[in-house]
Amino acid sequence: MELLDRYLQAVKFWLPPMQKQDIIEELSEDIRSQIEEKETELGRKLNRGEVETILKRLGRPVLVASRYSPQQYLIGPLQFPIYRLVLQIVALCYLVPWVLVWIVIITMDPDYPTRHAGGSLLRALASLWGPLWLTAFFAVGAVTITFAVLERVQAKSGFLEEWDPGKLPAVRDPNRISRAASIFELAAGTVFAVWWVQLRSPIVLGQSVRITLAPVWQYFFWGFLILILIHIAASGVNLLRPYWTRARAGMRLATDTAGAALFCWLCRAEVLAAISVSTVAPAKTVEITNAINLWMSRSFPIAVIVAVVIAAFDLHRMIRVKTTDPRLAGGVAAGGWPTSALS
Amino acid sequence: MAHSPETPGTFDNLRLELRRGCLVLAVLAELRSEQYGYTLRKALGERGMAIDEGTLYPLLRRLESQRLLVSEWREVDKRNKRFYRLSPDGKLILKQLLAEWQSINRSLNGIL
Repeated sequence: MELLDRYLQAVKFWLPPMQKQDIIEELSEDIRSQIEEKETELGRKLNRGEVETILKRLGRPVLVASRYSPQQYLIGPLQFPIYRLVLQIVALCYLVPWVLVWIVIITMDPDYPTRHAGGSLLRALASLWGPLWLTAFFAVGAVTITFAVLERVQAKSGFLEEWDPGKLPAVRDPNRISRAASIFELAAGTVFAVWWVQLRSPIVLGQSVRITLAPVWQYFFWGFLILILIHIAASGVNLLRPYWTRARAGMRLATDTAGAALFCWLCRAEVLAAISVSTVAPAKTVEITNAINLWMSRSFPIAVIVAVVIAAFDLHRMIRVKTTDPRLAGGVAAGGWPTSALS
Repeated sequence: MAHSPETPGTFDNLRLELRRGCLVLAVLAELRSEQYGYTLRKALGERGMAIDEGTLYPLLRRLESQRLLVSEWREVDKRNKRFYRLSPDGKLILKQLLAEWQSINRSLNGIL
């Protein structure tokens, strides 16, 4: 029975302190009765293997003991979905900016790995990610502790049980375009267009600064001007008919992609030909011109990432519109869309 | 991984849920006459309501803490055994639960 005693001792360790002895005596009695019954059936003492089989069937000691404890949790099922949402927001607000900063450091400062990690990109990555995990650990810990406290407070106050259905947020229509956003786009687009048409080479700032742009600039000038005019027109349509349609979502995808591609090209085009400042030596202005072109060129990977994110966002909207546009679903006005709003 | 409705795990979980409430009823009914844990478990098993130790003993403690059972340690065959029986409160609750179970049974039969 040495094995049985070891088993009972292991179970006892995990039991609630006040009931340890009582539970163990009862459990011990049951297991001994099982062993005795088996021995009577076989007409001999059970060997070690047979006792082991009985104990294995009973289950791991910690599992057996856990059944005698009341159900305990740090964050209960009521709070858990809110807790998970907050963690996701924390991850988004913390991790995404961090990754962006890291990309900027690596692209803008190619010597970073040499200076900080003996030239190894992996070691540089590790040196940057070390603090990230430490801070993430504290952030997650703080959120968890806060929710654990809230769980205890909620259990006592029962505030989650008191609610008013009338205060629920209105049904969100993902395909509806906010009028405020359209007005903002219209205003911002107009201001940008007015500013942009003045950017003809050479650009003269005051009486002392003259910026000469390379001939390739004309492509960017006309390209961006056409795109911003399309954006202004689309914002006007969106203001009058505030629902995304497949055609308008497709148009937004096309113009955003074209704009992003144009910007990526701009980064690599060495568009700055010369800068002339009356109070600065020509050699210095050449140095400044080259430095700006170099930094723009180094921004290229970031521009590509931003372009991909914008295109993915627009593509997602187009797919969403495709799957919810009532005209594409056999003309049924699903979701209560006013058909007059469709264009 | 997607599970088909025939997945043994799914059936076992649903079966467990279905039996959980019935087990309380069976234990209370069986304890109309005094028994200790091991004989109670055997009796339930013989009547088709098999229950393992890990489920029975915590259930007995819970029912006792709810004052539906009373228990006492007694020596039988030179061994200490804990005997359980239904308390007066337990008898009342059992009566109510049986009426409820019969009502559910009738409703289900009507649906099926």
